[in-house]
Amino acid sequence: MIEARGLSYAVGSRPILTGLDFIIEQQDFVLIFGANGAGKSTLLRLLAGMLRAGKGDVRLAGKSVAAYSRRELAARLCYLPQADEFALPVLVRDILLAGRYPYRALFQKLTPRDREIVVAGVEQFRLGDLLERNVQTLSNGERKKVLLASAFIQDVPLILLDEPLNFLDPGSAFHLVGMLQALNRDGRTIVVVAHELEHFFHLANKMLALKNGTMRYFGVRAFSAELLRDVYQVSFQRVTAAGRELIFAHE
Amino acid sequence: MNKKLFLLAGLVLLLLAITPFIGVVAIDLGGLLQESPGSFIFWQLRLPRALLGFAAGGILALSGLVCQNLFKNSLATPDLLGISSGAAAGTVVALKFNIQLTILGIGGLYVSSFLGALSAILFIFLVAKWIRNSSLYTLLMSGVAINFFYSSIIVVFQYVFDFSDTFSLLRWLMGGIAVAGYGEVLFLFVLLALFLLLVFLFRAEFLLVSAGDDFAASRGLNVAAFRKYSFLGLAVFVGAVVSICGPIGFVALVVPHVSRAWGASRYRETVGFTFLLGGGLLVLADLLSRLLAPPVEIPVGIVTSLMGAPFFLALLVAQLKKTD
Repeated sequence: MIEARGLSYAVGSRPILTGLDFIIEQQDFVLIFGANGAGKSTLLRLLAGMLRAGKGDVRLAGKSVAAYSRRELAARLCYLPQADEFALPVLVRDILLAGRYPYRALFQKLTPRDREIVVAGVEQFRLGDLLERNVQTLSNGERKKVLLASAFIQDVPLILLDEPLNFLDPGSAFHLVGMLQALNRDGRTIVVVAHELEHFFHLANKMLALKNGTMRYFGVRAFSAELLRDVYQVSFQRVTAAGRELIFAHE
Repeated sequence: MNKKLFLLAGLVLLLLAITPFIGVVAIDLGGLLQESPGSFIFWQLRLPRALLGFAAGGILALSGLVCQNLFKNSLATPDLLGISSGAAAGTVVALKFNIQLTILGIGGLYVSSFLGALSAILFIFLVAKWIRNSSLYTLLMSGVAINFFYSSIIVVFQYVFDFSDTFSLLRWLMGGIAVAGYGEVLFLFVLLALFLLLVFLFRAEFLLVSAGDDFAASRGLNVAAFRKYSFLGLAVFVGAVVSICGPIGFVALVVPHVSRAWGASRYRETVGFTFLLGGGLLVLADLLSRLLAPPVEIPVGIVTSLMGAPFFLALLVAQLKKTD
């Protein structure tokens, strides 16, 4: 689906990422983790085609992301950045409709198919009450929900999320994780950069560990005390509770 | 559609109908269709002036709205970014050296004004390219820099003009709806219609950029290209208004704020409020400029600033109170 080949990125002479190679398959749920400043967000932006690789390449469906137009790319993947930047009032309705933009020719109106999927998104994410609200006035949890719904409406096979649980209360976080899980079950590929291992570790089928811009691990998700210690410089423990594998830092 | 929008449209039409009757010389309704000094003043001076004010105000307000969307900054205006002062500098240079450029049959000061505005925009993008950073902050800051640069150019020209020229130049720089023929009125109305059409046709794109660069790009918009073409359009529209009316401040800043609130952030309604309110406001300001100290006319740019500054402050305070 999407792969990195010798992927490197530098700002000036300072390397951010060096020589990453991995292949993400369809319907994978990939957790990218690492300490602050390890290069996780940069990696996600490279995958999304928002940044151009210094050396190496990101290939989507066998073609370099640089060879896609923005519109073509938006029909194949959706990138949700860490912080949204709503500096002006925008209605939730318009945010959701924006998800159909990649499929519309210039000045074209909404098709029945567009409407259908927007309605489905509103129902699935229970946004009926928020449609006429200004997105700036929403809570963090509502905002994330709206953005995720807009990715659903964009109807793309690949969703890339940068720290989606930032600033969310435990309840909102739990619901958002459930929505991601549902999107994954429907066949979508999900790539998440996150620190909340307790939320994502058991969900992911693959994981990618970054340290100082190099990849320490990519593959099937598995608990490894050595890897976690290497990445975070603290010891981690694992317990199983309520049928779920939980890991946490413990010195 | 919004009832308030129709109400405003009605009020603006009423204003346009009443304004030409008001002034030092009283107009007799019955004498309008006869040849008299009154009917000349009505048809040849005051009516075109009111119409010109409406078109100019509408264009300025829309250009403010577009700037704010492009920069996602509610303080961004063609004035702040140096587009207006670029246009003004272009006009001043053309006046001083008596340059008359003509493109596509459109001549006079307009072409120089447009080129001035365009040069300000080119400068902004060249700086971004040069330091390889096209973030909004960079663009905004280079706009502020070019604004200072062109403002100084204008002052230099004022200084080297001889005295009588300096006065007329100063008068023009304060902004005014000069006594215009219907040619200018038609020109600005065509541009206003074109501007409205573009703002409606590209509503999806404007909504995307106003929600943020990352958001717009990951929904498939080539943000950098869209921003470039939008600025080119701004140079055309702002250049036209400045070449005819001089730089008129505050309309582009204040009107979109009010319109967003009245239009409840709905795009179409916000656009509707913006051009109606902008047009109406400038007609009203021009009327005040004629009435405040007759027979002297206070430059309309000064009236808009005098009206706009306290109004804007009140707006800010109201907003701050709301968020507290």
